[in-house]
Amino acid sequence: MRPIRPILPILILLVSAPACEDFLNVAPQSQLTQAAFPSSGSDALLATNAAYATVRGWHYHSGGYPILDIMSDDAYKGSNPDDQVNTLGAYDRFSFTATGDGLDRWWATLYQGIIRANVVITKVPAIAMNTTLRDRYVAEARFLRALYYFDLVRAFGGVPLVTTTEPPLRLGRATEADIYALIIADLEAAIPVLPVRTAYPSGDLGRATKGAAQALLGKVHLFRGDFDLAEPLLLAVIESGLYDLEAEFIDANGVDGEHGVESVFEVGAAENDSPTGNQYANTQGVRGTPNRGWGFNRPSMELRAVFEANDPRLKGTIIDIGDVIDGITILGDGTTPDVTTDGSGNVVEMETYNRKVWVPGTSTSTQFGHNRRLIRFADVLLMAAEVLNENDKPADALIHLNRVRERARQGNAGILPDVTTTDKTLLRDAILLERRRELAMEGHRFWDLVRTGRAGAVLGPLGFIPGKHERFPIPQNEMDISQGALEQNPLW
Amino acid sequence: MRHFIFWILLLAAAPLAAQQTLTGRVTSSDDGEPLIGVNISVKGTVRGTTTDLDGNYRIQLREGDTTLIFSYAGFERQEIDVAGLTTLDVELVVVSTILGEAVVIGYGTVRKRDLTGSVSSIRSEDILKTTSLNAEQSLQGRVSGVQITTVSGAPGAGASVRIRGVGTFNNSAPIYVVDGVILDDISFLNPSDISSMEILKDASATAIYGSRGANGVVLVSTRTGNRGQARARVDLSLEFGMQRLERTLDLLGGRDFAIVSNEIRPGSYNNVDAVPDTDWQDLIFDTAPMRTLQVSVAGGGERSEYYLGFGHFQQNGIIGRSWYERMTLKMNNRYRITEGVSIGNNVTVAPFRQRIGPDLTFAAYRAQPVLEPYYPDGTFGVVYNVGNPLADLSYSNNFRNGVRAVGNVFADATLGAHLSARTSFGVDMSFDQGRAFTPAYAVLNPDGTTSQQYNEFSDLSKGNAVRNTWLWENTVTYQRATARHSLNATGGFTMQRTRSEDLRLSGQNILRDDPDFWYLEPPYIVDESNNINTLFSLFNGVDANQFYTMMSGLLRVGYTYDEKYLATITLRRDGSSKFAEQNRWGTFPSFALGWNFGQEAFMDRFDWVSAAKVRASWGRIGNEKISYLDRFARVQSNLAGVFGNPDTPVPGATYGKSGNPDLRWETTTQTDIGLEWDLFRGMLTGELDWYNRLTDDILVELSTPGHLGNGQGQRVRFNAASVVNSGIEFNLKWQHSLETVGYSIGLVASTLRNEVRAIGGNSGIDSVLIGGYLANGQPVTRTKVGLPIGAFYGYKTDGIFQNQAELDAYPHMSEAGIGDLRFVDVNGDGRIDGNDRTYIGSPIPDFLFGLNMDADWKGFDFSLSLQGQIGNEIFNGKNVVRPDPYNFEGHVRDRWTGEGTSDSEPRASFGGYNFLPSDRFIHDGSFLRLRSVTIGYTLPQRVTDRVGLQRGRLYLQGSNLKTWTAYTGYTPEIGSYDVLSNGIDSGIYPIPAVYAVGIQLTLK
Repeated sequence: MRPIRPILPILILLVSAPACEDFLNVAPQSQLTQAAFPSSGSDALLATNAAYATVRGWHYHSGGYPILDIMSDDAYKGSNPDDQVNTLGAYDRFSFTATGDGLDRWWATLYQGIIRANVVITKVPAIAMNTTLRDRYVAEARFLRALYYFDLVRAFGGVPLVTTTEPPLRLGRATEADIYALIIADLEAAIPVLPVRTAYPSGDLGRATKGAAQALLGKVHLFRGDFDLAEPLLLAVIESGLYDLEAEFIDANGVDGEHGVESVFEVGAAENDSPTGNQYANTQGVRGTPNRGWGFNRPSMELRAVFEANDPRLKGTIIDIGDVIDGITILGDGTTPDVTTDGSGNVVEMETYNRKVWVPGTSTSTQFGHNRRLIRFADVLLMAAEVLNENDKPADALIHLNRVRERARQGNAGILPDVTTTDKTLLRDAILLERRRELAMEGHRFWDLVRTGRAGAVLGPLGFIPGKHERFPIPQNEMDISQGALEQNPLW
Repeated sequence: MRHFIFWILLLAAAPLAAQQTLTGRVTSSDDGEPLIGVNISVKGTVRGTTTDLDGNYRIQLREGDTTLIFSYAGFERQEIDVAGLTTLDVELVVVSTILGEAVVIGYGTVRKRDLTGSVSSIRSEDILKTTSLNAEQSLQGRVSGVQITTVSGAPGAGASVRIRGVGTFNNSAPIYVVDGVILDDISFLNPSDISSMEILKDASATAIYGSRGANGVVLVSTRTGNRGQARARVDLSLEFGMQRLERTLDLLGGRDFAIVSNEIRPGSYNNVDAVPDTDWQDLIFDTAPMRTLQVSVAGGGERSEYYLGFGHFQQNGIIGRSWYERMTLKMNNRYRITEGVSIGNNVTVAPFRQRIGPDLTFAAYRAQPVLEPYYPDGTFGVVYNVGNPLADLSYSNNFRNGVRAVGNVFADATLGAHLSARTSFGVDMSFDQGRAFTPAYAVLNPDGTTSQQYNEFSDLSKGNAVRNTWLWENTVTYQRATARHSLNATGGFTMQRTRSEDLRLSGQNILRDDPDFWYLEPPYIVDESNNINTLFSLFNGVDANQFYTMMSGLLRVGYTYDEKYLATITLRRDGSSKFAEQNRWGTFPSFALGWNFGQEAFMDRFDWVSAAKVRASWGRIGNEKISYLDRFARVQSNLAGVFGNPDTPVPGATYGKSGNPDLRWETTTQTDIGLEWDLFRGMLTGELDWYNRLTDDILVELSTPGHLGNGQGQRVRFNAASVVNSGIEFNLKWQHSLETVGYSIGLVASTLRNEVRAIGGNSGIDSVLIGGYLANGQPVTRTKVGLPIGAFYGYKTDGIFQNQAELDAYPHMSEAGIGDLRFVDVNGDGRIDGNDRTYIGSPIPDFLFGLNMDADWKGFDFSLSLQGQIGNEIFNGKNVVRPDPYNFEGHVRDRWTGEGTSDSEPRASFGGYNFLPSDRFIHDGSFLRLRSVTIGYTLPQRVTDRVGLQRGRLYLQGSNLKTWTAYTGYTPEIGSYDVLSNGIDSGIYPIPAVYAVGIQLTLK
C-alpha cells in the first residue's frame, strides 16, 4: 500500500487559517446598525418621521386602553360584563395596583418615544444638510419629547430624566420640577422654529406646528396653575387667526374635520391595522353589529345627565342602541345587556358607545384610520377662558366660553344660552362643566379633576383615594428591574 | 492547530527497521466480511499497524517479535503466535456482551467497553417497533434521560426533545448529526432508513461537538450496503393505519348548559328541555387513515457498496382538511477508488406536501352546545363569540410543500500504518413554499345580519423560505495499539456557513376563489375602494436564527491500558459569527476516566459478572443558539409617519432596540458518574448514571428598564442566568431465551431536578422571567431563582366562601362574593391583589420512565411499550381564557349552589373572578401511556421458500392506545418548544391512537 502524504489536510489548514476572522464576520442583512445612523438629510427626515410613529402606537393611549376616561365619572369599562373585568375593570373601580394591566406598557412606550425624539435632538444637529429643515426636525422632536414627558410627569410625577440615546441602565427618578423644566425648555425652543400650520405643504399636515407647541405649553402651565404664563400662549394661538371651530360639532373629531381648521395637533392614521393605522378607535368602537371594535370606554349614565336639554353634542358624544349612523343601525353586542339595573330596578348602565371615534365605512379596518385629536381649538378656547378667569379677566373669558357654546347650539337659539356670570367661582364651575360636555370621552376629564383638586370629591364614590390616586404607581416591573433605583409613589 | 499536526507527523514517523514482512487479511467470523481498521500490534512493543479498507494488513517483524495482538471494536481480542509466518489470515469473533458492541461517537466509533462517556443507543429494530410519525418520536420511552413530547397531533407536527432536562431559556433541542452532517432536526428522515441512533449525554461524549453539544447530541447512522454482497438485499414494507381520537373531553351538553346559563343570567332559556344538544367534538373529529410504504435495496460489488431507499408516508388529520405526505429518497454509496482511498456519499432528498387544517379543538371546546351547526337551509349557523368551527374548516385552504435535501460527499484515505484522514463536505438545503387562501364569506345571524365570523375580502398569502447550510469537516485519526497500550487520537478542522431567505406576500380581494387564481399578480388583486391593485403586505429578509458562520478545531485523545483503564481527553475550540470579535472564540474541554473493573483478578470469583465498568467525566460545552442579530444595535425601519390629508404614510426609521455587543458563549459544565454491567453473559445488562449539569452565562432575553426606550415587551439578550439540572438515569434489560420462547424486558427510568440558580445577575435587570402567555395575553409562568424553569404562577385557593360571615371574615377582592373562590392572602397584607400570586406548580416531571417488553415464540413475536412520567403539573389554560360565555367543562355540574354544596367548584359564572389564574387550574400531569403493542408473525421458511421470499412478516400494531392519567384534557403530554410555556394546555391538538396492520418482506 502506498500511503498518501497528509499534505492535503495541512494545506487546507494553512490556507484557511488567515481567513478565519473574515469568514466569521456576518453583517446584519437589510438592517442598518445604529452607529451609521442618521448620517444624511434623508436619514434625518426618516428619524423625525419615526418619532411620530409612537403617537399612533396602541400603548401610547394610556397603555392600550383609554384608561383615563374609564377612571373618570364619564365612562365605564365597557364591552360585555366579563371582558377584561379584572384588568381594565380595576381602573373603573380604582382597585388597580402597581401591577395593573397596561401601566408598564404605557411607561415603556412613552420612553420609546422619548428615545426616538432624542435621536433627532442629539444626532441631527451634527449632520451637514439644509439648516432650515435641520432646525425644524429638531424642533419637531423637541415638541414630541415634551408631549411624551408631559404624559409621564402627569401620570407618575418625577420620572427618570433621559436626554440622550444611550441612558445608563440604572437611573433613579428626577424631581417633578426637573421634568417640567425640560418640557418647558423644549417647547420654548420649539415655538420660534416650528412653522405655523399654513406654512407646511399639505402633505406635511400633522407635523408639530408653532400653534401646537404654544397650545401644549399653555396646557402645561395651566396644569401647574401658572395661569399668567399660560395666558399669552393660549391667546397667541387664538389670535393667530389660523384656527377656528368646525361648523359641525361632529367634525371636530370626525373624518371630515381631519387636519381641519379646529385641529391643533392630531394623530394621523391610515386605514388598515398596521403599521400605519391606530387601534385607539377600534378599542372603543361599536361591539357586535355593526362590528367596529371592542366597545371599551363606555359613556356613563352620569355623563348623559350632564348635557343640558337638547344639547346636540349629546348625540355627538354617545351612541345608543337603535341609533342610525351613516345609514347603519346600531344593534350592539349580543353578550352585553342593553340595560343593566340594580336591585331596586334603577338603570345603572346602558349599552352605549363612544360616538367621537365613529368612522364611516364597512369594516373594522376603517376604524384604524381614525385621527385622534390630541389638541383641538375648542380645548384651546376653554383653556384660555379658564386662564383668563383665573387672571381676573372674566369678560374676556366669557367670549371664548360662549364661542364654544355658540357652535354647540348649531343655530338653535332656544338652547344653550350664553353664560353671563362674571363671578369668578361660578364662572370657573361653568367653564369646567363646559369642558366636560365639549371634550367628553377625549381623555381630559380625569386630568381636569386632578388639576383642579376636585377628584376626591367627584371620584371618591368610585374608589378614588385623595393623596393616592392623583398619581399612578410606578409600574411594578420597572420597580423590580430597577432593583431599588426607583422609589414608589406615596400610598402605593 | 499547526502544533497539533506536527505532533501527529512526529508520531507517524516512527522508525521502520524491517526484518521480515507478514501480510494477511482480517475478517469477521460472523459473516466473513473484511474488517477495516483493525489494530494489530506486536506484543511487548509499541509497534503495530491497522488493516486497510479490504481488511488487508502488512507488518514488518523484527527479531524477537513472536506474538501479534489483533484488537477491534466489538470483537474479541486475539493474540497469535506468528513466529516464522509470512502470511496470516485472521477471523475475529464478535464479542458476545453488550459492552463489546461498537458505538458510534462523534467523528469515530468505539467499543462500548472502551467508552468513557454516557451514550445510549437505539437500534433499527426498536425504532421500527412503534408507528412513528417521525424519527424523533421513536426515541420516546426507550432511552433514559430523554424526554420526547409530541407538540401536536396534527399531521406533520414535530416533537420536542429534551436531553437531561432544560438547561437554557433558548432553544433547548439537541443537535442531530446524520452521517456526519450537523442538523437542527431530523423530521425529514424516514425512520426505516436509520440503522442506529446514539444519544450522547455527558460532557465526555458531547464535548467533541463543543459549541453545540450543550443540549445533548443525537447521532444518527443510516443504513449502508455491504461490499461483496453481490446479491442485493431487497426489503419491502407496507403499513396501513387508522387514527382516532383516544378520548373526548367531558363538556356540558345542551340541557346542562342551559341550566347553568339560567343560574348566571336568569331567563336565558325558557325551556331547558327544548334546547339543541350539539356535540361539537363529535362534529370536528373523525377517524383518519395513514399509510407507509418502503422499499430498500442494499448490496455491494468488489469495490463498492450501496444502499437505496424509497419511502412514502401519508397521514390525514383527525380534523378534516389536513394531511401530510412525505417522500424520502435515500442514497448511500461508497467506492474504493484506489488502494487505501475511498469516496462516497450519503444523501437524503425528501419532498413533502402538506395541507394545514385550522386547529379547531379550542373552538369546539368553547362552542355552546345549544347552538345548531347549520340553519335549516343548510348554511352555517352562528356560534356566538367563537365562530362556527365547521365554517372555519370549510373556508380553510392552507397548503405547504417543499423539499429538504441533506447529504455529504466524503473521502477517506489511509495514510500509512496508523494514520487515516477524512474529509467530508455536507449540505443541508431546504425550500419551503406556502399558500393560504380564505374566500370572502359571512356566517349570518338568525336575523340575516352578518355575525362576527366573516371575511370581508378574500385573502391570499404566499411564502417562500430557503435555508442553505454547508459544512466542511476534515479529520485526521491516529490509532496505535500494543499489547497493553492503545491510543486513539482524532484531530480536525471544520467550517460551516448557514444562510436563509424568506419572502412572504399577501393580497386581498382576489379576482376568483378558484385555485387557478391563487397568485399575487397585480391584475388578480382588486382593491375596490381605490380601484388600484395593491399588495397587502410584503416581507423579504432572512431568518435571524439561520444566518451564521462557524469555524472549529477539535481534538480527542483516547487511551486504554490493558483494556481495563481508560482515559479520554477532548478539546474543541469554536468561533461563531454570532459573537463580536473579542468574545468570538470559546474553548470546550472534557476529561473522562473509566475502569473495566470486571476484568480485574479480584472479580474472578464472581463469574456471573461478565463485564462491569465505572466511569466518570467532567467537561464544559457551549451553546450559541441565538439570533445572529442580538449583538447589534439596529435601526428599525418600519416606523412610518402618517401625514397629510388624506392620511398618507411616509417612511420613517430610527433606533430600534439596543443590542448587546458583549454577548459571549453560554457554557454548560457537566459531571457524570456511571456504572455499567453485564451479568450472566448478557442476560442482565444495565447502566446507572448520576449527572449534574450547571449552565452558566445563559443567553437570555431580559426585560430592560423602560427608560432605555426599547419599547413595551421588548427584551435584550444578556449572558445572565444559571440553571442546574441533576438526576439519576437507570437502564436495565433482562434478556433470556428458553427452549422455544425468547423474551426481554427493558426498563428505562430517570429522575430530574431543575432549578434556576440566578437570573439577571449583575446587569441591573430583572430577576424574573415572565412567560406562558395565554390567548388573552395573561402570563401564567414565572421563572425565578430557586424554582424550576417555567414554574406556574397564580393565586392559591382555599375553598369557597360559603356565606356572608366567611366573606366578611377573610380578605377578598371586591369582585368576590358568596360561592366564589377564596384566594389565600399569601403576603399577609390583609388584601388580595396581584402580589398574592405565587408558585403553584411545575411543568417539569420528577420522574420519567419507559418499560419495553419483547417476546417471541415460534414464528410469533410480541412487543409492548409503556411510557410515563410522574410529578409534573399541567396548567389548564383553555379553561381560563373566558372573555365571553363559552361552554363549560363537566366539573361545573358539581358547582356551588348554596352553603355546603361544594368547597372546590365555585358558583357558575361565564368568566371573571373565578377564572383568574389559580391553582384551581393546576392538574397533576402524571401519566402512564400504552405507547405501543405489536403482534407479529414471521412466515415459516417452507412458506417463504415457496413464494420466493427470504423473510416475510405480518403484524398488527396499536400506538397510543390508552393513557392512564388524572388529567381531564385530551392528553397529559403537552409539549412546547418554548421552555417558559411548557405544560400549558391551551387547547392542544389531540394525539390520536393509531391502529395499524403491516407487512414486511425481504426478497430472495
